[in-house]
Amino acid sequence: MNIDNRVAIENDKARVDARPKVTGAAKFTADIQMKNMMYAAFLRFPYGSGELIEADVEAAKSVPGVIEVEVTAPRKAGYVGANIGYVAGESRRAVQDGLAALKPKFRRGEARSHAADFSEGPAKLSEGDQARMDALFSKGAAVVQATYSTQVQTHSALETHGGVVDHRGDSAEVWGSTQGTFAYLDGIAGACELDASKVVVHNEFVGGGFGAKFGPDAEGTLAARLSMKHKRPCRVMLNRFEEHLDAGNRPGSIQHMKIAAAKDGKLLGGTIHIEGVVGYRKGGGDATNPALYEFGNVVKSGSEITLNAGRPRAFRAPGWPQGVFAVESMMDELAAKLGMDPVAFRLLNEKSARRRKQLEIGAEIFGWNRRKPDGTWPGVVKHGFGVAGAEWPTWPTKAGADIDLFRSGKVEVRAGVQDIGTGTMTVVADVAAYELGIPREMIVPRVGNSTFPEGPGSGGSQVTRSVAPAIMDAAKQIREQLTELVQEKWDGAKVSYAKGVFSEQGGSRSLKWEEACSLMSGQKLTASGRIKQEYIREGISDGVQFFEVAVDTETGVVRVVKVVAIQSVGRAVNRLMLENQICGGVTQGISYALFEDRWLDGPTGGMVNPNLEFYKIAGAKDIPEIIPIIDATPEDTGVRPVGEPCTIPPAGAIANAVANAIGARVRSIPITPQRVLEALATKGARS
Amino acid sequence: MRDDSGREKEPTLLERPHSRRSFLKSVGVAGAAAAVLPATALSQEGGGDAKKPPAGPAGVRVIGRGATEFTLSINGVDTKINAEPRSTLLEVLRDDLGMTGAKEVCDRGACGACSVLVDGKAVNSCMMLAIEGTGHRIETIEGIADDPANAALIDSFCTHDGAQCGFCIPGFVVRSKALLAENPSPTMDEIKSGLSGNLCRCGTYQKIFESVQGAAKGGAK
Repeated sequence: MNIDNRVAIENDKARVDARPKVTGAAKFTADIQMKNMMYAAFLRFPYGSGELIEADVEAAKSVPGVIEVEVTAPRKAGYVGANIGYVAGESRRAVQDGLAALKPKFRRGEARSHAADFSEGPAKLSEGDQARMDALFSKGAAVVQATYSTQVQTHSALETHGGVVDHRGDSAEVWGSTQGTFAYLDGIAGACELDASKVVVHNEFVGGGFGAKFGPDAEGTLAARLSMKHKRPCRVMLNRFEEHLDAGNRPGSIQHMKIAAAKDGKLLGGTIHIEGVVGYRKGGGDATNPALYEFGNVVKSGSEITLNAGRPRAFRAPGWPQGVFAVESMMDELAAKLGMDPVAFRLLNEKSARRRKQLEIGAEIFGWNRRKPDGTWPGVVKHGFGVAGAEWPTWPTKAGADIDLFRSGKVEVRAGVQDIGTGTMTVVADVAAYELGIPREMIVPRVGNSTFPEGPGSGGSQVTRSVAPAIMDAAKQIREQLTELVQEKWDGAKVSYAKGVFSEQGGSRSLKWEEACSLMSGQKLTASGRIKQEYIREGISDGVQFFEVAVDTETGVVRVVKVVAIQSVGRAVNRLMLENQICGGVTQGISYALFEDRWLDGPTGGMVNPNLEFYKIAGAKDIPEIIPIIDATPEDTGVRPVGEPCTIPPAGAIANAVANAIGARVRSIPITPQRVLEALATKGARS
Repeated sequence: MRDDSGREKEPTLLERPHSRRSFLKSVGVAGAAAAVLPATALSQEGGGDAKKPPAGPAGVRVIGRGATEFTLSINGVDTKINAEPRSTLLEVLRDDLGMTGAKEVCDRGACGACSVLVDGKAVNSCMMLAIEGTGHRIETIEGIADDPANAALIDSFCTHDGAQCGFCIPGFVVRSKALLAENPSPTMDEIKSGLSGNLCRCGTYQKIFESVQGAAKGGAK
């Protein structure tokens, strides 16, 4: 089957800011250096619980280059990495020396470190629910009871959290590593004790966010307060250790499911109880389960297990990858029990007509018919095949964009929204070029600046779908203004415009874009665009991904071999960026399914692997052949979310592919060699 | 090892493993704050304003712990550095010289974001003391990007969309240059091996591989 990904507004040009990124010229917040800049870093609590007994503040203050030392109350802390003070200094080295000189002594308390120790198992149902469920299970031709668990995953954006603040008394200039320009503005203006109109936030380049970077947090706030106090710029950037411990994570989960399906393959329902694994306070632990399929009559409940560890935060498709891992695992377990093909079983229960179509097309492209019955692939290295789906709702958000059209014909488009690698700056250029009918090279797109029109943070995959309509609106106004100028010159003749040329309707006169622009009396025409109802389309983003894995049954190592990832996008803006983002979502999902795990030490609650050598994220050698398929709907003028849904399916699809390969199921991620070998041993013991 | 005139040459620091930790561990005389170098390792007088310079064994000169002057050849320019001997090359490049293309991500050699070329070989600049770079040819992404000889590599990353957030990409470009210098037409497996010391959190790998293929002699294999 031929797949045509060339369906975008721009098919061949890569992102507009590729060159500064590739050459290292792009200045991220971490790269900002200012004259007379000071630095600060936090004192971090080393245990899951306990208290600080003493710290030699005077010794730290006497370290050359140290400006200020504070050890803050309360001295008790609830998790490893909680900040309990800071050192400010002339250089990063002075700050590190100051922290070392504090020689803090702690009393260690008992830490809650391992979620499994605190799991209470499936929920106790009310008598009525129990009776209802008993009746339902008795009708099921297949009933599967299973517990699925997922680990805590840290965002691990390569640029850590942090900010640089230059407080100048009655105004402030700020650089923040943030995925929410205006959330950062609000927070930092408060910390600077200034009105937001007196503060400029720059975030033109952001080294990843993935859901953890909105407001200024403790680090930006500290930079603001120190800069205000000392009347000089201050930078506070977390290091990798701090980033793992205190910058947020995807919560873990223990998901208890008991689901029944009828003989014809229809899901009947069942019970789902989610135990979210969160930080030292409750909150944020839900997993999206049930999802994707018509599950029937479900009783769902949830609780949370607190640990003495860093708190959860939104993480690319919050709640979904963990929920869908359990949902899709359960789907395959039920299909196996019914003796049905997993794709056929899904087609019967799928909620979305679009995903049904994606399942059928994807199975063909992927070669689903190569799949063998569970555990029957010959040889030591066994291949297996798995599938999983995703969906993501769209919700439009208020957004604006300004356009300046200069007499030279060149255009500047400004939107305050950020580009965290999602390609916003390029979207701005591509949409403006398309709507104005001129080459992209004539557009200067500018984003990531709080003085530009406001738009949403990068959460919910809503930036492109919100800002594109605002650009369309502004572009329409610019076209109209320019048409009026031409009309004036042609004594009121009717004027039409297409692709850079104004033409007289029913006449022979025509003007090129640049010639029309030279008619303006001033230096420029301007327009402010806003998202309007007429540009908003409802819709859900759907996706289906097929995975082929190879499992070495002697070592337990799982390798992903091939992926077909179909993603509905609505109107496609830039082909290369879409492919890149889909492959990126798949890659992060592989990393979540096979490698990443926050390990906490039992007695101390300390994170054993707060680094990038033992907290493993997918590297070059882990990358399979990924075939991204852009499922565009040109009839839908809206742009649909992509960034989040494409990272939802991998864990479930990989778990299913591994089970198909080895004939035994691993119900916990990451699917490590140890877990594969344990599953094989259990299977061996059974047979 | 012999120099041009055939005399036996002392191995330079760079010919030892590129690890500041193993280096500091192996000398282990004066603690981590002061670097102890063989007198032959530095081409010029090292200052050092330590209040009490620790006594070194015979035949070694002690530098530090305060700031010390030395010269590094960076992108073909001899650059005077005044930094504490404990400073990593990455710290000196970013904090002292404002060359921020090399990124600090893990600061312990696990991610490759701080890659530079030292005598043509890719090195994690966070794992090397700046002072170890004396007498060696250091190339950063800034120098690589400015050199017209590398235009095809830079252009290929740009046209293949070999970057999402872009934070890791300078490191990948440096690593790719070293890879292609060694192996002008690598297979896909060789590209993956060559780049296996670098991490990209956005998951841009596929486009990065295509970028390297695009710059390789004879195109994709």
